[in-house]
Amino acid sequence: MKPLPLLPVFSNASLPFPVALLLFYPLVVVLGMLSMGFQMLASRLLSPHYGSTIVEWVWLISTFLAAFSVGSVLGGWISSLPTARRGWSQIAIAAVGIASLAVTACYSKGMLDWIELRFIPDVAQMNDQGSADMNTAVFLSCMALFFVPVTALSSFGPQCVGWLAARGTPPGKASGVVYGVSTVGNIAGVMLTVFKLIPNFRVSHLLYGWLGVAAVSLTALICLMRCPAKTKML
Amino acid sequence: MKSRLAQFSALLAPCHAIALQAKAGRRLSSLFALLAVAPLFAAPAAPATAPAPALPPAPKGDYVESFDTQYNNITVQREGTRVELRARSRRGEFYESVVDVADPTKLILEYSRTVYAAAYFQPEPKRALIIGLGGAGVHRLFATAYPDALLQTVELDPMILALCQSRLEFKPTAKTPVTIMDGRMFVKRDTTKYDWILLDAFRGSYVPAHLKTEEFLRECAARLGDQGVFINNLHEGTELFYADIKTMQKVFPQVVLLNPPGSGNVMAFGVNYKTPVITDPAKWPDPAVVGKRLFASVDLAEVKKELMPIPTKEVAAAEVITDDFNPAELLNVIKTNNEAKGR
Repeated sequence: MKPLPLLPVFSNASLPFPVALLLFYPLVVVLGMLSMGFQMLASRLLSPHYGSTIVEWVWLISTFLAAFSVGSVLGGWISSLPTARRGWSQIAIAAVGIASLAVTACYSKGMLDWIELRFIPDVAQMNDQGSADMNTAVFLSCMALFFVPVTALSSFGPQCVGWLAARGTPPGKASGVVYGVSTVGNIAGVMLTVFKLIPNFRVSHLLYGWLGVAAVSLTALICLMRCPAKTKML
Repeated sequence: MKSRLAQFSALLAPCHAIALQAKAGRRLSSLFALLAVAPLFAAPAAPATAPAPALPPAPKGDYVESFDTQYNNITVQREGTRVELRARSRRGEFYESVVDVADPTKLILEYSRTVYAAAYFQPEPKRALIIGLGGAGVHRLFATAYPDALLQTVELDPMILALCQSRLEFKPTAKTPVTIMDGRMFVKRDTTKYDWILLDAFRGSYVPAHLKTEEFLRECAARLGDQGVFINNLHEGTELFYADIKTMQKVFPQVVLLNPPGSGNVMAFGVNYKTPVITDPAKWPDPAVVGKRLFASVDLAEVKKELMPIPTKEVAAAEVITDDFNPAELLNVIKTNNEAKGR
């Protein structure tokens, strides 16, 4: 497979490692913010359809945790690929993540309407055999709208660890730093979304914002990770 | 649907097993490792609806009990024949209901009397829906005053129903059924036309945000009969109050507010029609006629005096709450100027 060309701006000559780090950590924070802030938006998308029951939260939290899990394994697998295939895989997973976010931003209401009424068509359905149908409907809704984009976003965590480790940072330290910084992003994402974004913007508009920020930040991160592994950690 | 999840699980389980045995290299193992976590989704979850759980018998005499339920922290206190159901929430405990178990027609909380002002707009309810059971304080008088009417209740928390049955002596019947599910999910699916719909789904001091939106109120409005009235139990004192009124005005052509003194509640009444006019109390029917079924429990002439003007200026500055734009929880903690000055 043909290696991806490097962008000149990210060559070693024009981008010293400390400067690369100044770009790298904010991007890790942004990815963390996108992931957990998205969970707050997800709860807003689901509640008009499934209420504010603990069943909704069970599936929502489980879906995000499963996506983090699968994304971590997937990211670890990508980071161990040969350079050329790794580059194409990064682009592919980013494209899948952005495309799935676009689907969520554009079609979430229609999809939720369809799933909700398909599996829970009437009150009797809820009373008599509702538990399984409710679980299935919420499960499918979460999978259809949130699982793929969060998996794609979280797959970049191990890749970030790999990028740092390849530049001289001990693997354990690289892992700790990346996940520590990412978790700071998670916290910031939740706080920002709940206290500033949801009170001031429509959820539908915020989803387009998520899409735009994800596209820009993933593109920047992939370009950054294309830097050759020559520079050592300072 | 359970079987679909079981099939999904059964499909993935062999993949997991194969993955563990695979010697085809790390690539295959990694792929199957991804699939291995998928059966987590097929694990059985807590049921969405559940029958009322069994509770031990109520203690003899006076007592105070606490219950942590799926959705609430409840205190039940009995003194003589008076039983209080309170929910812990921000800034202390809030009354869900107070009832006199010896007298089903007695209404103790001010707001529960004001609910019956709905009789001014629809004096002969044949079907009523109450979203939020609480301690069934409103229910007892309704079932006694309108014995032929259907009083459907929808309540999210099964333990609330159990407490009503075992501690507050409310027994659902064919005329007073209680459905355990989310109120919005019920309204969206139920096809009955109601004469009264009361939204009283408090969890302590707040109503869940998805029950505050224009879309939900439209779903309720669609369930009203021709002369039906929608009653919304609001709390004054925060910015959410004005947003609630504005949202109601967006849905209902006419909205009337009644403010039971000293309660902190404001009951908002909305109807689907523009005429006859309900916003002019001089045109309301004779309270002695429309209230004749309500025993001595509710003096509708007194309730009429609770009429409050719509705070036009503040409402104009408020935003309509929708599914897409819903800052209800945040608005509920922003005190209005008057409230803030009074503290």
